[in-house]
Amino acid sequence: MLATLSMNGYCQYSPAPGKQLELGGRPGAAMDRAAASGAPAGGGRPEAGNHRSNARSDGMGMHSGGAIWLSDAPPMRGGGSRSGNARGGGMGGMNMGGGYGGRAMKRLWPRAGNDPQKSSFAREDAQASTEILLVTPSSTPEGEPLPAPAESHTGIAFEVPAQGYYRVYLTTRKLQGKILNVCVAKAEVANFGHGGDEEEQARGMQAPRILESAPIEIVRERQPNEKMFFQLKSGDEQPFVILQKGLPLPSARVRFVSHQGWSREAVSDEQGRVSFQVIRDYFPPWGEFQKRFKATYLVIAEANAAESGNYQGQPYTSVRYQATLSGSYQPSPSDYMSYAWGLGIGLLIFLFSGVAVYLYRRRRVKPFVEVRFDEAK
Amino acid sequence: MKQNNSRLQAVRDAVNRVDLNSFRFWLQLAAFALFVYGGYFAIDLGSRLPLFSCAYNDEGRAAICYLLPLQHQLSQPWPRLFSIASITVITGFLTFVLWFIFLNKGWCGYVCPLGTIQDWITALRRRLGIRYSRYSQSQFAQLTRVKYLLLALMILIPLGIGGGFFSHDMSPPFCLICPARMVLPMFTGDVSQFTIDFSSKTAMIMTAVGISITGLFLVGAFVKKRFFCFFCPMSALHYLISKPALLKLKKDGNKCTRCGDCYRVCDMEIKEIADDVKTVNIMADDCIMCLKCVASCPEEGALKATFAGIPILESTEAGFIKRINKGCSDGK
Repeated sequence: MLATLSMNGYCQYSPAPGKQLELGGRPGAAMDRAAASGAPAGGGRPEAGNHRSNARSDGMGMHSGGAIWLSDAPPMRGGGSRSGNARGGGMGGMNMGGGYGGRAMKRLWPRAGNDPQKSSFAREDAQASTEILLVTPSSTPEGEPLPAPAESHTGIAFEVPAQGYYRVYLTTRKLQGKILNVCVAKAEVANFGHGGDEEEQARGMQAPRILESAPIEIVRERQPNEKMFFQLKSGDEQPFVILQKGLPLPSARVRFVSHQGWSREAVSDEQGRVSFQVIRDYFPPWGEFQKRFKATYLVIAEANAAESGNYQGQPYTSVRYQATLSGSYQPSPSDYMSYAWGLGIGLLIFLFSGVAVYLYRRRRVKPFVEVRFDEAK
Repeated sequence: MKQNNSRLQAVRDAVNRVDLNSFRFWLQLAAFALFVYGGYFAIDLGSRLPLFSCAYNDEGRAAICYLLPLQHQLSQPWPRLFSIASITVITGFLTFVLWFIFLNKGWCGYVCPLGTIQDWITALRRRLGIRYSRYSQSQFAQLTRVKYLLLALMILIPLGIGGGFFSHDMSPPFCLICPARMVLPMFTGDVSQFTIDFSSKTAMIMTAVGISITGLFLVGAFVKKRFFCFFCPMSALHYLISKPALLKLKKDGNKCTRCGDCYRVCDMEIKEIADDVKTVNIMADDCIMCLKCVASCPEEGALKATFAGIPILESTEAGFIKRINKGCSDGK
């Protein structure tokens, strides 16, 4: 029943007309199978902590329009780019944007779809309510409301005056039948620079990264010894924590979608934790390889709850939660760095210059010539 | 009053007779431990330090060499660099200057971890009984300009990157060719910098040059004292802003007999220290302020190191004799 309902879509946004997704396979096919078997899309219910097989699909309970997520690139321009921006690290991560010279700004676009490259602009649904919250390094932990964008292509813009993490939560609620759909699209933007106040940077790194009032939230766990300019790389293991009202949410279905649309599914454990290894899916011709190619990943978490209540005067008997979080990753250094060549060249230069210096010094040594004086003469 | 003066004189006499080599060895060792392993103890002295506390030593560093943020800042796109963001460049530089004026080039002679490694390699060579090399005066005159050339390139290339003239793969240009990038992380078990980057031709060339210079550094430091300091752009930058520094090296030419002891012990082969009897502030651009010249001078008050005008180490005959005797006994 739940799976069938999930096919209908439940977020207030839907793909803009003329920009329908072109996902592999028939949209909603995975959900059809799930509905037939009474299990979540994509096959049998995965065990907690276990990953499911890679699949290029749109399954796992996402409606045909796809999930709503926040991107720092508009459609068609977000197909991977060189992150040449000196300002800002990743959120493993989104980088800073904005104009030069004036106040630093960041713009995020709500996008609809389950494939980072193929997601189109999301369009507002008049039947749903929207709330946008911005949590800045200087704001209260509860955040401040942001106005909804007038049009989807203009995106959500906000100033980033201080160094630290900025989090945007786009929460939508929509009642469909007896089910209340609650979607939280989150973006975490790191704004760090080489200049500026180092205390401010330290405060920014230590600040809480959780919104306790969020109905559902995905938090990217920091890597060990993660610093300001951290950038996730292919091959890295990246844990996420699924939270509901600031508390771990076990048994949430979580899907990680890579830049090329490859996905992997898992279920959060008792601590709400789930981990994915970022796959390598960037294989350009070598002449076109960019080591700072910014690929986008998308994480989608879903959970159902048998909660009842009233929403806008209408009763509901269950709530379906969905959270999304996107970020970026770059090619692994092991794809383009060579120890063998490095050590080989270093050793060759060391030996060559060592021998050259030795021979040069040896050539300059004057042979000992004994001179005898006959003092008797 | 008299008693105070005599006590002060006694302290001064004791300092002037100090075994400078031992003092310097232990201070360098402590500074090396601080800047190479301090990060493990959550020590962070910022990113404006006037010494090679290499940022690539990601785990252990207790600070970051100023040259890295400087190059990063200068490689910002020009509209940003020449806007309000330039304030961060200026404040960064001023912080660097404030650090610097405290010790002047003493940062090189006593604190810089790469300088310390070179001194250790020199000590190894001496133990092996291998003689060291010196430049001829003509070689010296030519090579001493290299550090200014590197300093100019270190500023112009990042500006060119920000202006779109050069590839970002050249950034940060000096760090990519600096041996500290390879050598210092090695002390915390990180050999990840011993790699060639094949992602682009520029990156490949820069990393290959960096590795090659590291090979040359290891050989050069073995046969030539403070081999790399001669080419160090940080040293050139130090000299350009050394006027307001608190630590000074001063010479009283009237007391100098031009015996040449100071020149012979100078790791940087600065001949002016012996020849120049007119200049009071005798610190040359290659000087690392190790103060070995002061310790080796037998003339009372001919050479002295002052901090904010107060003499802290002065050449004395007694100190010279004590150090000579210790050197002889060590030689046995």
